[in-house]
Amino acid sequence: MLDDGGNLSIDFLAGMTLFMVALIWVATMIPGLLIGLQSRTIDYDAVAYRTGVILVEDPGMPANPPWEIKDDLQKDEIERFGLTISKETPNILKLSKVNRFFCSTSFSYPDDYQQRVIFGDRPYRFNISLTTLDGMVNNSVGDIKPYGYGYIRRIVKMKYPSNTTIQAPNFKNSGPSANVTTHVFSLYINCTNLLGDETNPAYQIDPLGDQITVNITNLRMARVFTNLLTGDPLYNPSSLNSIKIYRQNPTQPLVQVRTVDNAYIDGGSTLSAIPPVPPGPIVNDNVSIIFPPGFFYGMATDNTQLYINYTFTLQNFGDNFFNNSFTSPYPYDYNPSRVTQPRLKEGVLEVAIW
Amino acid sequence: MARLNDDAQWIVLMGFMVSFSLIFLGIVINQSTVVGQTTAEGVLEFPKNDILNVRSAVLQSSGIAIPADFDNVKKDISLIAMSRKNAVVSFGVTDAPPGSPYTKIIDIHFNNGVTVYNETTNY
Amino acid sequence: MVNYEGQLYTIEGVAAGLIMLMTAFIVVGTTSVYTPGDTHITDMQLEQMGSDALHMMNTPNTSAASAESALQSMIKNNEKDRFRETFLSFCNTTAGGTTDTLQYSTDVYYRDTLTNSVNRYHFAESRNLTGGEHAVRVTEWVNINGAGVPPPLDNRIQAVLVEVLVWRD
Repeated sequence: MLDDGGNLSIDFLAGMTLFMVALIWVATMIPGLLIGLQSRTIDYDAVAYRTGVILVEDPGMPANPPWEIKDDLQKDEIERFGLTISKETPNILKLSKVNRFFCSTSFSYPDDYQQRVIFGDRPYRFNISLTTLDGMVNNSVGDIKPYGYGYIRRIVKMKYPSNTTIQAPNFKNSGPSANVTTHVFSLYINCTNLLGDETNPAYQIDPLGDQITVNITNLRMARVFTNLLTGDPLYNPSSLNSIKIYRQNPTQPLVQVRTVDNAYIDGGSTLSAIPPVPPGPIVNDNVSIIFPPGFFYGMATDNTQLYINYTFTLQNFGDNFFNNSFTSPYPYDYNPSRVTQPRLKEGVLEVAIW
Repeated sequence: MARLNDDAQWIVLMGFMVSFSLIFLGIVINQSTVVGQTTAEGVLEFPKNDILNVRSAVLQSSGIAIPADFDNVKKDISLIAMSRKNAVVSFGVTDAPPGSPYTKIIDIHFNNGVTVYNETTNY
Repeated sequence: MVNYEGQLYTIEGVAAGLIMLMTAFIVVGTTSVYTPGDTHITDMQLEQMGSDALHMMNTPNTSAASAESALQSMIKNNEKDRFRETFLSFCNTTAGGTTDTLQYSTDVYYRDTLTNSVNRYHFAESRNLTGGEHAVRVTEWVNINGAGVPPPLDNRIQAVLVEVLVWRD
């Protein structure tokens, strides 16, 4: 073929042209083959489903001690968020985990969440919302949802913690010398019984991991004392000198572990301090303490007996006020007439990813 | 016949090369659409809720004291699972050895043709 | 190259072009691009939510020994309205405040001890099935303990399967 004539035959041109046309036609068909592999919406829905499962069916990592009791400085120890109480109870969420997860002062959007619940290399944006069916709880974290996003909705129940309300007039001091000025009331938390009597984590009162609320009310009625001469009620306020926590482990003696430093007094919305040295704050009607989840974690184990002792001092004169030293400590247990049991409330969790 | 001018065979050769590469591409894509089957289908296929459900029904029925009633419930679950869920479910409950904190030992077997689940648990 | 001998460039070109085009058509025809599984995604979301709803209805709210789950008492007492209210409020409530438009149709499957066969009875529906709905099936095992069940269930401790067809209008 090599010559220096510099001309091509028409036959060659025709063949070459046909070949090039066919080649170009085929080349334009190739992208059509690859379209099906590029769809993005599958990815978003898959990530949303996975996030939903991580939140609703897993207790998080670390599970024991639970991740929600780690404070903000330790947040690097949290490997994965999860809202359920335990692995055996999927779809049943723990309120303390929910509150911690949605806490915007602890975790920042999107980085803290990306590493601990969304995962993946792409920087997904997301919106996670939780609401109860009765509308009382409404939490969300993330951006406003755009027009198209991957989505999953899960239906859950949230476990609300137990609490007890103690009517003071029912616990007047008995015993030989009842009219004294110093009174001690003892609350008893038997971890062995609490964890052993009810093994289903959805209904269990877990003293180590759940919030425990103790309300003592009607202290005013416990000391109605009338001046016999005038018929006027005599005012005898008490001061709350201390709230001490004792623990007894099996084969160990009873030791004091710590004191409670503040409490809600007389319906106040802020905490009142209880100084280490008496006298303490004056209490007229009620005292409330909320032990946050994980409060007893460092000081108790599954077999500990805990005693919480309130010491009151009457200011003006001795009375039989509010005292169970001569009877038995008030047990925090599964008796519904004493303790409002944990209850489950329905809710909806939505995850949107884009 | 004089030797035909076969200089143009390279055109056909190019044509064949393009065809073969197309066929190869087609094979790769064919396999990938099967392998990259949507996650949704994978989720639908795994009987997560079925297994969790059967498990909790069995655990609940493990407390039935009268053996005749328990047998009835066993037959209920096996027969209905076979006919409606296309799954073989069989389970057994025995008493735990004395001294154990649990009361029963429960065996569960579930097979829906695609997924097999076996469990022995203390309850 | 230019001479008056017979040359075959055109034929070769035509042949090459034909081969390429035929291969391309065959390949594109066989790899039939799957639509990105749209229906599977909504099916999966619906099925997960329906299962969740039934599971939550079958979890008692307290652990008292006599506590029944909502679903157990609905089957025992044939409470169709309560089922509708509870199930629809579970499925149609969203966190954003809007309501979804899911509908359901529920059957209960039980075993008849006399014939040892599985029968069903229709329990409740939110509206009649017209046959054009794209529905998913979710199920839940319910343990019934005997006394006072509505016919056709036997009066004994038994396990029944509640099957709900859920679709979005």
